Amino acid sequence: MTALATLEQQARTTRNKQIALALLLLALLIMPLGTQVADQTWVTDSRLFQFTQVFMLIALASNWNLTGGFIGYVDFGHAVFFGLGAYATGVMMTNQHSIQWPFWSAVIVGAIVAAIFAVMIGFPTLRLKGPYFSIAMLGTFVAMREIIRVSKPVTGGGVGLTLPPYLNRALFYYLTLGLAVAIIMFVWWIRRSEFGSSLIAIREDEVGAEMRGINTTLHKITIFVIAGFLTGIVGGMWAYQNTFIDPDVVFVDSRTIDLVMMTMLGGLGTVAGPVVGAAAIYWLRDVVWAAFFDWHLMIQGSLLIGIVLFVPTGLVGLFRRNGSGTTLQSLWGRYFGTRAEHPNEPGPGEDGPIEGAQP
Amino acid sequence: MDQFLQALINGIMLGAFYGAMMLGFSVIWGVMGVINLAHGEFIMLGAYTTWVLNKDFGWEPFYAIILVFPLMFIVGYIVQRVLINRVVDQPILVSLLVTFGLSIIIANAVKLAYSADPRITETEFSGAWNVGNVTIPVTKTIILGLALVIMASLWTFLNRTRTGKSIRAAAQNKQAARIVGIDINAIYALTFGICIAITGVAGTMISPTQAVHPFMGAPLTLRAFAITALAGLGSIPGALMGGMVLGIVESMIGIYVDRIGTNLAVVAAFVLLVVVLITRPQGLFGGLRPVEQAEQL
Amino acid sequence: MTMDTAPLLEGRGVTKRFGGLVAVDSVDFAVYPGEVVGLIGPNGSGKTTLLDCLSRVQSIDEGRVFFKGTEITKLKPHNVAHLGMSRTFQVIRVYRKLTVLENMLVSRQWRGESLLSQLSPSHPDTEARARKLVDFLTLEHLVDSPAGTLSGGQRRLLELGMAMMPDPELILLDEAASGVNPTLVETIKDRIRTLNIDEGVSFLVVEHDMRFISDMCNRVYVLNFGEKLAEGTPSEVIENEAVIEAYFGA
Repeated sequence: MTALATLEQQARTTRNKQIALALLLLALLIMPLGTQVADQTWVTDSRLFQFTQVFMLIALASNWNLTGGFIGYVDFGHAVFFGLGAYATGVMMTNQHSIQWPFWSAVIVGAIVAAIFAVMIGFPTLRLKGPYFSIAMLGTFVAMREIIRVSKPVTGGGVGLTLPPYLNRALFYYLTLGLAVAIIMFVWWIRRSEFGSSLIAIREDEVGAEMRGINTTLHKITIFVIAGFLTGIVGGMWAYQNTFIDPDVVFVDSRTIDLVMMTMLGGLGTVAGPVVGAAAIYWLRDVVWAAFFDWHLMIQGSLLIGIVLFVPTGLVGLFRRNGSGTTLQSLWGRYFGTRAEHPNEPGPGEDGPIEGAQP
Repeated sequence: MDQFLQALINGIMLGAFYGAMMLGFSVIWGVMGVINLAHGEFIMLGAYTTWVLNKDFGWEPFYAIILVFPLMFIVGYIVQRVLINRVVDQPILVSLLVTFGLSIIIANAVKLAYSADPRITETEFSGAWNVGNVTIPVTKTIILGLALVIMASLWTFLNRTRTGKSIRAAAQNKQAARIVGIDINAIYALTFGICIAITGVAGTMISPTQAVHPFMGAPLTLRAFAITALAGLGSIPGALMGGMVLGIVESMIGIYVDRIGTNLAVVAAFVLLVVVLITRPQGLFGGLRPVEQAEQL
Repeated sequence: MTMDTAPLLEGRGVTKRFGGLVAVDSVDFAVYPGEVVGLIGPNGSGKTTLLDCLSRVQSIDEGRVFFKGTEITKLKPHNVAHLGMSRTFQVIRVYRKLTVLENMLVSRQWRGESLLSQLSPSHPDTEARARKLVDFLTLEHLVDSPAGTLSGGQRRLLELGMAMMPDPELILLDEAASGVNPTLVETIKDRIRTLNIDEGVSFLVVEHDMRFISDMCNRVYVLNFGEKLAEGTPSEVIENEAVIEAYFGA
């Protein structure tokens, strides 16, 4: 096959992919109209609700991927931004002391609160390596739950807050669909930009990147805050949709594992990974929850172990041999070396001594 | 002043317990390079075992240690051979996630078996001594004593026995240890087993003093992590000191900042953790292996 | 290039300690524009540590360093890079997952432009420059291969290319010939010479290979146990008795 023919073939595959995506988007856009069509039971209000949940999960997973996959900082407490967004939105909407804000402005406040917190917590924690960052963020998540619980005057404490009800399922559907699509496009765009290349350089070799003129602190904080902001939006939306929030329902432990699992199952550091992973996890949960209600968290735990041990590149990695993704295994080769005991023995994937001062 | 003294005494007793409670976590990390996020769940298993023995068989909880120790050792041994051994040679984050998954499995399995209702064990050793205006509960004194015994025993084991020295050798340099004939897999399984046994016993110790429920593990794991950061890896004197620091801080918060439950103490642990990680990444004491330093440029 | 012009890089009394060990002990040195300066010494003499201090991987305990007249003793590494100093590493650091071209593109100069300007894909000029450099380094057939698939010598060439991307005035080379087969070493030497003569790039080269040093360097510094033992032209230094003693023992 001539080079020209291969190029043509490549172009055709890309065009096919684009057409498929456009068709999918179209289908999703007109789906709510299906509720008006009589004599069919597939498109119902609760079905729309399901899809809304999936869109929110996709948005969340894609955000998490920004720090976990792109700069390689695996954030075990990212759900804290979700919670802050949810609570800030809730507080603004149920304001007892002055006017109650409408949803649109409240959710922006929620996102801003999350972003501000991201700045505050990002500076100390992003200086930490690997697992220390992960655990520090997990601690932040746990701590924030308690802080909110004791801030009764503002947050309603353990009793929680009840938001004004929302009525329009279809509106929420489009809202979350729009958000998910926007975030996916944003991630895709970042990946293609020089900013994205710098992020991946940071992931692959942070010290080397710094040496080569990349202001790693600035890059890390920026993407961390962006991810926090966007996650805050999702949190705010979720709060409104859920109508009731309290510390345990918002800062629920499973949210953290969900974020990690969705992205890992789909593919860390890719654009499509979180989307695939989120959809897969939701479908799995739906099926598993329905059939094995009591067991579903245990199954999730086993699934996490299985993914980490046996499918580290995720579903997307299985079908592609693309360099844009990464795996846990290669990620932390940089931070701690692998378990090479002898200072001069390269671990798998390393090409020399663990970096450090060599007199 | 009395309040301060009471808080101090409480803190010391709590701190000693914390020191013993987190030993398993720290040694596993130091020897095998595995961060065991299921640490708190093993404590919980020990607590539940004790509760079953207490409720269904009328055992005095503290005596249950005789059974809990070997039982948890076996559990640890099996878990290590089946699961943990797969992640020992992998980057440390893999162990984080795998043990995270494990913690979820264990917690929910127990919830399935015994529901999420909080339990507590009843001990004969109740009551308290009154020294001046300070109250010293008997139960907590026993716990203090047990904690010190555990720490001393482990220290002796690691430093004065052949096996202990093999473990320490394996921690420092796996290749070299192999060369002198140490069976690394056996050492790892043994270490993990012993650490889980101690951890389970910590669960026994905690069972008369706080509510036992399937999800009690996470705050304890967080504390273990905080103390490890304070103390440096695998250092037993450091564990005691670090545990004391945390115990006293929590205790002071509990007494002086009232209307807030012990939940806020978790916040204290976390804040302490982050502060230590940032300012003194090498911890207060050295140990088997130094805590890796964040890139300070 | 004369000694009357101001030095490009100058270190005064540079000292670095690790606990009780003094890795670099009060070292004075200078690199003048257009020079290729060698830095040699037995193992453990502090060569790489000195380089780490200059590029600010390590902090400097005592002494001062000046680059183009600006004091860089306390600057962050990325700022030092922005001033026009690049380096390569003793342990090769390339981005293994990225292709050769991507490695080059991500090493481009980013002299403190705003983040916003980074939001577009690579500028065509940047890509053109990257490709030109890749060709110059004889790696054009590997331009789309992941850097992890390259041989050691090819990776050293790539590192050199990455150091050249930001159009630096000074490159710190840390054992650029180590682990490279002899033919490729000649290529590397030839590229360095061309860069030095045609582009005016100065070099500070840490090396063990004495042939490399004699062929390439105008001047050489010798370190031993962190102290400056000798300095001079390659032939002066090779014949210096103290140097011979340091390398071969009494």
